[in-house]
Amino acid sequence: MIDPLIHAALLMTTPILLAAIGGLVNRVGGIVNIGLESMMLTGALVAVIVSADTGSVMLALFAALVAGGIVGLLMSRVVTRLAANEIIVGLGFSVAVAGLVRFLLKSVYGVSGTFNPPGVVMLPRIDIPVIADVPILGAILSGQDPLTWFAWAMVPVTAFVLARTRLGLRLRAAGSAETTARALGLDPLAIRDASTVFAGAMSGLAGAHLSIGVVGLFNEGITGGRGFIALAAFYFGRNRPWRTALGALLFGFFEALQIRLQGRGVPAELVQMLPYLIVILVLTGLGLANRRRSGSSS
Amino acid sequence: MSAPASRTRIGARAIVRRFGPVIANDGIDFAAAPGTIHAIVGGNGAGKSTLMRILQGVDRPDDGSVILDDREVRLTAPADAFARGIGMVHQEFMLVDELTLLENLILAREPVHAGGVIDRRKALAEAERVAAMAGVTLDWQMRVADAPVHIRQILEILRLLYRGADVLILDEPTAVLAPAQVRELIGLMRRLKAEGRTILFISHKLDEVMNAADAITVIRRGRAIATVVPGETSKAKLSEMMVGEPIELPLVHPAAPHAGVPVLAIDTLVAHDGRGLPRLGPITLNLYPGEIVGIAGVAGNGQDELAAAAAGLGQIDAGSIRMDGRDITRARTGSFRDLGIAYLSADRAGDGLCLAASIRDNFIAGSEHAPPFSQSGLLRLRAIREGARRALDTLSVRYGAMGDPAKSLSGGNQQRVAIAREFERKPRVLIAAQPTRGVDIAGIAFIHRQIVAFRDAGGAVLLISEELDEILSLSDRIVGLYGGRITGELDRSGASVERVGRLMLGEKAA
Amino acid sequence: MIRAALANLAAAALPFVLALAIGAIVLAVTGHDPISVYALMASEAFGGTRRIAATLTATTPLLLTGLATAIAFRAGVFNVGIEGCFYLGGLAAATLGFWLVGWPAIAIIPVALLAGALIGGAWMVAPATLKVRLGVDEVVTTLMLNFIAINLTSWLVNGPLLARGSANSATPAIEKAAELPRLLPPSTLHLGFIISLALVILYGFWDRFTVTGFRSRLVGLNARFCRAVGIDVPSLLFRMMILSGLIGGLAGAIHALGLVHRFVAGFSPGYGFTGIAVALLGRNSALGMILAALVFGALASSGATIQLFSDVPIEIVEVLQGTVMIFAVAKLGLLLRDRRGLA
Repeated sequence: MIDPLIHAALLMTTPILLAAIGGLVNRVGGIVNIGLESMMLTGALVAVIVSADTGSVMLALFAALVAGGIVGLLMSRVVTRLAANEIIVGLGFSVAVAGLVRFLLKSVYGVSGTFNPPGVVMLPRIDIPVIADVPILGAILSGQDPLTWFAWAMVPVTAFVLARTRLGLRLRAAGSAETTARALGLDPLAIRDASTVFAGAMSGLAGAHLSIGVVGLFNEGITGGRGFIALAAFYFGRNRPWRTALGALLFGFFEALQIRLQGRGVPAELVQMLPYLIVILVLTGLGLANRRRSGSSS
Repeated sequence: MSAPASRTRIGARAIVRRFGPVIANDGIDFAAAPGTIHAIVGGNGAGKSTLMRILQGVDRPDDGSVILDDREVRLTAPADAFARGIGMVHQEFMLVDELTLLENLILAREPVHAGGVIDRRKALAEAERVAAMAGVTLDWQMRVADAPVHIRQILEILRLLYRGADVLILDEPTAVLAPAQVRELIGLMRRLKAEGRTILFISHKLDEVMNAADAITVIRRGRAIATVVPGETSKAKLSEMMVGEPIELPLVHPAAPHAGVPVLAIDTLVAHDGRGLPRLGPITLNLYPGEIVGIAGVAGNGQDELAAAAAGLGQIDAGSIRMDGRDITRARTGSFRDLGIAYLSADRAGDGLCLAASIRDNFIAGSEHAPPFSQSGLLRLRAIREGARRALDTLSVRYGAMGDPAKSLSGGNQQRVAIAREFERKPRVLIAAQPTRGVDIAGIAFIHRQIVAFRDAGGAVLLISEELDEILSLSDRIVGLYGGRITGELDRSGASVERVGRLMLGEKAA
Repeated sequence: MIRAALANLAAAALPFVLALAIGAIVLAVTGHDPISVYALMASEAFGGTRRIAATLTATTPLLLTGLATAIAFRAGVFNVGIEGCFYLGGLAAATLGFWLVGWPAIAIIPVALLAGALIGGAWMVAPATLKVRLGVDEVVTTLMLNFIAINLTSWLVNGPLLARGSANSATPAIEKAAELPRLLPPSTLHLGFIISLALVILYGFWDRFTVTGFRSRLVGLNARFCRAVGIDVPSLLFRMMILSGLIGGLAGAIHALGLVHRFVAGFSPGYGFTGIAVALLGRNSALGMILAALVFGALASSGATIQLFSDVPIEIVEVLQGTVMIFAVAKLGLLLRDRRGLA
């Protein structure tokens, strides 16, 4: 049956899409954010804690957003104010935050690996009465959670903001021409920081989707490399929101497919490899196209 | 024109700015009257750039102050200066390549609807308005990356107008323009002046300064030597003030007549630039032993591509380069050098030197794999040390220790290290691109002597320079380059500023 | 001269000191006493022969992953793919280790190590070619290749190479002859430590005294300049990247033959990424990397034991590792800079 597959694919896509849009905006603003994974992880944990403590999904999402944003801000400040290499800082944050999260789980909550507090409230599903029965369309539109709607709404919003608004223009300028932006009276570093905070916030929401949207608990491996898959998605999308969404959807589809095919002779790991392989292929294609255009060898 | 008016639109009073032990501005005074074109002239390193940065609010003086409308002010940031109507067009344009001309124009001052959405109609209207003010028309949807240099410069000026600047500071604006475009620019400046704006115009091209300016301030070694009026001075007097003594380029005797076989033969060569756009060719040029061929042209007409191609770094699309009759067009850079072609790059920081590496490393770079500096893959440190010391002393390089990074040297000394490296290989051809850029007067004379001595010993020199004086002084033959094509050739005896200028413009030599 | 050396040392140690400070905050906030924790870690790392041996064992893989990364970084190649090379090299060596039954140690060890190195080198051919021929940025390609390698080896070890009757994902144990000899039994310190240390020292000489070392350093400082003086930059970058992969693969092979004696899923707890921190902290110098690897090795080995003796989770080590990476590339001097005239 294809309907459950479509539904699962969309579900798997949401966290990747959220983080990828964040990463895309970040990259337009001038930073390649390798640390999305850490921001996702933070959001996932915070969402579970707040949801269990307060019973409010809204508060949990908000807390995840803020937590991710804070990690983003920290990372960004090191990169922009201390002129640090963003790749290394991103990797460093990935390692440090992962360690910190596990450390806190053991120290504060006394658990190792999985954190499953009682009373976690999950994201609701929105069923649309008539459409739900339509094949395919029903699987796409009905029974999705609010974050999924939000994620897809953000795609045209991001495209519009980047192309047609003052904020988008300044972001594009700050990202590609820092000195010029400053000479014109803008604060490119602050703009860059803001874009990283946005990436962190979106990734925090992505993490929240993983924990209170799907499984209802926190596990130290819950992000499963999705931060890097989101990176793959926005590299695939080459800074265009719709193409990035396509990439995220593709990878979400792979993930859903892989789960379905497990135990049927298709090794899970080889399917898991695909997004990364695709990025390399895309970059190769771009390189070839570039070379053909300029007619020179490097 | 009458003497400068008593009201000062923009000026400086006793501005002092130090960078460590270096005093960039040592008590500078000057005053530009409103509605005038005021030129600031001075040699490299005189302190003009520092002064401009202060006037623009990018930097702040250690002492003294900026004067605006007869009052002392403290400019805290470029935004502050902008707010007071001061704008600057830098030598390196402050434009975002990926954005369109229109987007660059409105950046940071965007007309918006509610919610921050850009009001495109209003933006375009504004763009047309400032373009009309300056008397130009532009394709606003073009990306800056695709726009030619003089369009970018016009855009920069329009942006200042758009932002309501009424003091425009132009830093070496004509460095990248052909003579016809220079005339247009001066026309634009005059139109703006007629509207009451004040223009500060930095240049070292004394012809243009004498032509366009209402008043000229000469800066030397961080001080304002004098402010004069064009009618009461001359180029010679200005030069004297700029340097402190009359410039006399060494008298260069003509080359001995050369033998028939060219050492370097460039035949219908076509080359493109870093972005793949065709920039040079087809050109045909022969270089004979014992002569200096000067390539005269305004920057951006294919000189970079010619220098790169001749040095073995170029991106060649068609045609050939032969050395002693042997086709080396597809050879690697290393082969070019092994065959005896040396290269003094115009871009010292980029590929002329490795500024972060030591002086010693810069000296042996490219020769490290061969005797005497190495053997079987291992470096021979003592041979390197001795060889470097000998060569650096021969060229009178002033340095602390050989292990010091090259960036610790002055511009002139850096260039000497590059020359030491190139000459160590006993080349037969020297490609010298802007060999005295950023070098002090004494250094310039020294480098010229080295080039002439190289020629006298039988070497061939391809000299590419934006300094017309240098071309006229050194070249045995002058070849004009315009739009990537050779426009004509002049012999040393037949060369003059006017005739070379016409070559540079693409007009045939008379 | 001495002052300059001391200043250098201080600058190099600063990231580590700052990381300790951050770690101290984390410990304090969660109710632990930083001083006593750090003291315990120090004594667990260096207190006595047995513990020092454990530290050196933990240092071993980091020496070569650091070296592999440093060789690339130095030439200006941003190779972050050593983790993948480590996995592949380890699998290759372990596989030969249990396939070549009956081979004597003198044969099987070099062959297995060589295989590991070659696989690591081969793994870098693709990103190196892409970089040199097509100008494709090597950061993303090598980063992706890590995950591909981890998944690939995971599939192999769960499938074709799975030890018969084994529930967890592991290959069969390697032949006794393939095991690298222990240096100080009963500790696990093995010959791999000597090999790795020797290679790092060799690198120190290569750096200062050879033509290739000279060129590699210069290319990292200014590749355009090197091209202009006739150095074949693409060829050099390609070779350095392959060399980097060879050493990364060798690191994994040594780990398989010397310590783990098989290949398992989760073969590396991030040695490749820690290697990046080692290279950065050690500033690509031989001595610096030896010290940096020791620091991280000490953290890892003491972290394992303090978890037994106190309630401090071992993850504090990861926090320190990540923080060191961050501070190693942060130009902390900028905090003190004159804020005037920055544009």
